[in-house]
Amino acid sequence: MTLRRVTAALALVGIAIAGYLTWVHYAGLEAVCVGGGGGCERVQSSRWAELAGVPVAVLGLGGYVLILASLALPEELGAQAAAFLSLVGFGFSAWLTYVEIEKIEAICQWCVASAVIMTALALVSVARVLRDAPPAARAA
Amino acid sequence: MLRRRPLVQLGAVVALAAIVVVAAILISGGDDDEQAASPTPGTSGEPAVNEEVAKLYDGIPQQGIDLGRKSAPATMVEIADLQCPFCADYSRTALPAIVRDYVRPGKLRYELHFRSFLGRDSVRAAGAAAEAARQDRMYQFADVFYRNQGPENSDYADADFMRMVASQVEGLDVDKVVAAADDPLSRPAVKEGEQFARNLGSTSTPDFYIRKGGVLTPLQVQGTAPEDYAKALDAALGGT
Repeated sequence: MTLRRVTAALALVGIAIAGYLTWVHYAGLEAVCVGGGGGCERVQSSRWAELAGVPVAVLGLGGYVLILASLALPEELGAQAAAFLSLVGFGFSAWLTYVEIEKIEAICQWCVASAVIMTALALVSVARVLRDAPPAARAA
Repeated sequence: MLRRRPLVQLGAVVALAAIVVVAAILISGGDDDEQAASPTPGTSGEPAVNEEVAKLYDGIPQQGIDLGRKSAPATMVEIADLQCPFCADYSRTALPAIVRDYVRPGKLRYELHFRSFLGRDSVRAAGAAAEAARQDRMYQFADVFYRNQGPENSDYADADFMRMVASQVEGLDVDKVVAAADDPLSRPAVKEGEQFARNLGSTSTPDFYIRKGGVLTPLQVQGTAPEDYAKALDAALGGT
């Protein structure tokens, strides 16, 4: 399996997770939290669930879609775009995980799953940028 | 072996990503350290933070007189007076359930307007609430105020009272709240709250409305129990 295919697979999983959280947000529903405890609802209803009025789930969904779309670009440019997007996603996910633990004192399993996916995407994307092969060969 | 060019590219990408992440964190309000850095209540003989109030509103977006998500399909509008005993009853009995069941899950946004038509203490209280709103802590301030509400127009809402109330709200700048109570009419929000109520023809408090699709209509509540408000809200929110 090539790194491009891994990127596509991870991005699709991320879209599914962020898409679910976006749907839950706009439908006014509570996210299904495995094991209960209300952690997901507490996180999703916190003030950190929005960034400048935009739900974080929507930003995540947009990020995953853009990462997937970056696969349509020439390899060198696409790898850089995916690396930028996934590193931003990784950094912000790390921040949100810190907020969940230290500020909200609740864990949303969906957010953790998204953070794991974004971390994997960042690693794969960085590997694509660093891959030591001629750009022309990689674009094929 | 890694070539030099990809490393340079990666460095640039990482730097750019770091800038965007830091900007996003700043936009999200950081981790609230600025508010946490305020003098800690309870360390100089002042009352400790009211944990029950803090827990009720913890993590819910709050901006000025608004509580809850901007994306909520409807907004419940309350017109109140901090001196009004019925408003205090509502704040103690029904509002917590509304916050927990409707505002926190994003089904409803809440908008609280304070008028000041019951006397001097009302005006002072409205001034203090306006400052608390400026610090995005009005709901906690109002909750603690109601819990300590004194006899109507007994001049109880003096500087010591305001300090006692404000000290129980985590992150609130107490001195600014006391100063606002001493000079309430310098706060545009005090006049705006009164004008908002008059424009609606509101004559008593608490008075409730629902704003849905840009249209503001009175909220018909039959009774004063939490379930009465839930019933009225469910009817008003139907179809959202």
